[in-house]
Amino acid sequence: MKTYWVAYQIALQETLQRRSTLIMDRLGGFAVVVSLYAFWTALIGDKATFLGYTRPEMLTYVLALNILRSFVFTGRGWQLVGEISSGKISSYLIRPLSYHGYALALDMAQKTVHVIASFFEVGFLAWLVQGELFLPRDPATWLIFGAAVLLSSLIFFFLEFAISTFAFWTSESGGPLFCFELFLQFAAGAFFPLDVLPLGLRRVLEATPFPYMVYFPVRIFLEKVSTAEAVRMLGMEALWLAVVFTAAMTIWARGVRSYAAEGG
Amino acid sequence: MAVAIETQGLTKDYRSPLKEPGLWGGVKSLFDRKYKDTRAVDGVTFSIEEGELVGFLGANGAGKTTTLKMLSGLLTPTSGSATALGHVPWKRETKFQGAISLVMGQRSQLWWEIPAYETFKLNQAIYGLSEADFRRHLDELVELLQLGEHLAVPVKKLSLGQRMRCELAAALLHRPRLLLLDEPTIGLDVVMQKNVREFIKAYNKRSGATIMLTSHNMTDVVELCKRVIVIEKGRLLYDGALDRLVERYADHKILRARFEAEVEPSDLKALGTVVKYEDRTVTLEVPRAKMAASAAALLRSYPVADLNVEEVAIDDIVRRLFSHE
Repeated sequence: MKTYWVAYQIALQETLQRRSTLIMDRLGGFAVVVSLYAFWTALIGDKATFLGYTRPEMLTYVLALNILRSFVFTGRGWQLVGEISSGKISSYLIRPLSYHGYALALDMAQKTVHVIASFFEVGFLAWLVQGELFLPRDPATWLIFGAAVLLSSLIFFFLEFAISTFAFWTSESGGPLFCFELFLQFAAGAFFPLDVLPLGLRRVLEATPFPYMVYFPVRIFLEKVSTAEAVRMLGMEALWLAVVFTAAMTIWARGVRSYAAEGG
Repeated sequence: MAVAIETQGLTKDYRSPLKEPGLWGGVKSLFDRKYKDTRAVDGVTFSIEEGELVGFLGANGAGKTTTLKMLSGLLTPTSGSATALGHVPWKRETKFQGAISLVMGQRSQLWWEIPAYETFKLNQAIYGLSEADFRRHLDELVELLQLGEHLAVPVKKLSLGQRMRCELAAALLHRPRLLLLDEPTIGLDVVMQKNVREFIKAYNKRSGATIMLTSHNMTDVVELCKRVIVIEKGRLLYDGALDRLVERYADHKILRARFEAEVEPSDLKALGTVVKYEDRTVTLEVPRAKMAASAAALLRSYPVADLNVEEVAIDDIVRRLFSHE
């Protein structure tokens, strides 16, 4: 366990060391939130609700997106792809170390920094627009929301890990990873609430793990679902996590077995 | 003495996709991919005692790195067997991994943006070193490798030589009993090469660790290794003392003669291969069997002032082995 704690601390240092990358990352994310806010404000116009969302709920959705992006959508997929194609992965494979645990520790460090930054950004934006926010009254909602987000981030982590692991077989696994991330943002509800979509498509998406990463947690937070429904969603998340985790581990084990870093 | 490494018919095939040249070839290979199996290591058998320092030689692509990767557990062989420190390497057992290190000159395990010291702390945790052991091992390495002030500087700001020394320190912090070094002096300047060599020698002596190293740098091999294993095209070509390599592979000797007057070098062709002629001095490569006759003929027919017969230098032999001559 100590290994992962040390790795976490080192990664924290490194993230802070790369200040310009961090600032660029944050600016990019902030721009997305600002444009989403402008977009939704224009759509709501003078109406009291839009697609079942009141103005405070919509603002909350948009701001929550910023925090969730920072917590859920930060995997180590690109690092893994890079380390497999450069052969650096070898240096981990010969040490008594679980690469998953190590990558997760690194990811947690990244999340820590980004979530703290996102709270500042959200506070700033909320102050700027002076809009009313929706905050749940039931403490259970906060609890379930917290658990849901934690599971979401783990589902994302292992899903991204599983896809990146294909770098063991092809030097072109960056492509699928890129597509996955783009599709994921759409299917998770990180661009707009999935209520926007036709019912048929929504049903299809709801059968995948993607909506559990943003859309469902935010609906839990906005108390759009009953407690019973929220707990059922948690159960589904746990199930998806088990599936994705097993897949990631299996693909990894096969990948390592077929790993044949040629030459020097 | 106990055996540190033992291999039996170790063989590794690589499978690589064949692609016809051009765009059309690329499209075709998308649908009908053909593979080619390349035998990188072919039935290699050897055994190394604990505490030995062995040079592993061969041309590029001879199978050295592949063998080291199998011995460190990174690659599973296609056939054959091996044990290292009593373990089957590719089972990658924690106990085995805690007792070995593989250093590849062109790869880094150090964190790039932050000082090397942080990577050392991480390795301390990975290998479960107590604070006291960590301190003791680190102090020793800092002294041997003259790391001192480099520990606090972000790795990306270090020179190649400084980084390589930090790399070695990171790999040796847990005092591996088996050390596999792949081109440890590559890219270093002459002074640094010497330092790293001295360090390897000292580590071997101090810790009694078994070391196997590959190098294209002849000085590395000549200064460090009494025993060498040579492989060519994946096959074991020679396994034994470095000195004996000369007798075995040098089918000729060097005959050097200085003349009292200028001589036409092309006249000397009958005696052996003329390597060089300058300042009235000729260097000839003469087959061992012909040496006596050639020397006698030279003395008989030419105004010889001085004559000298030498063995071929070890470097030359190994260089020849490297370059497939």
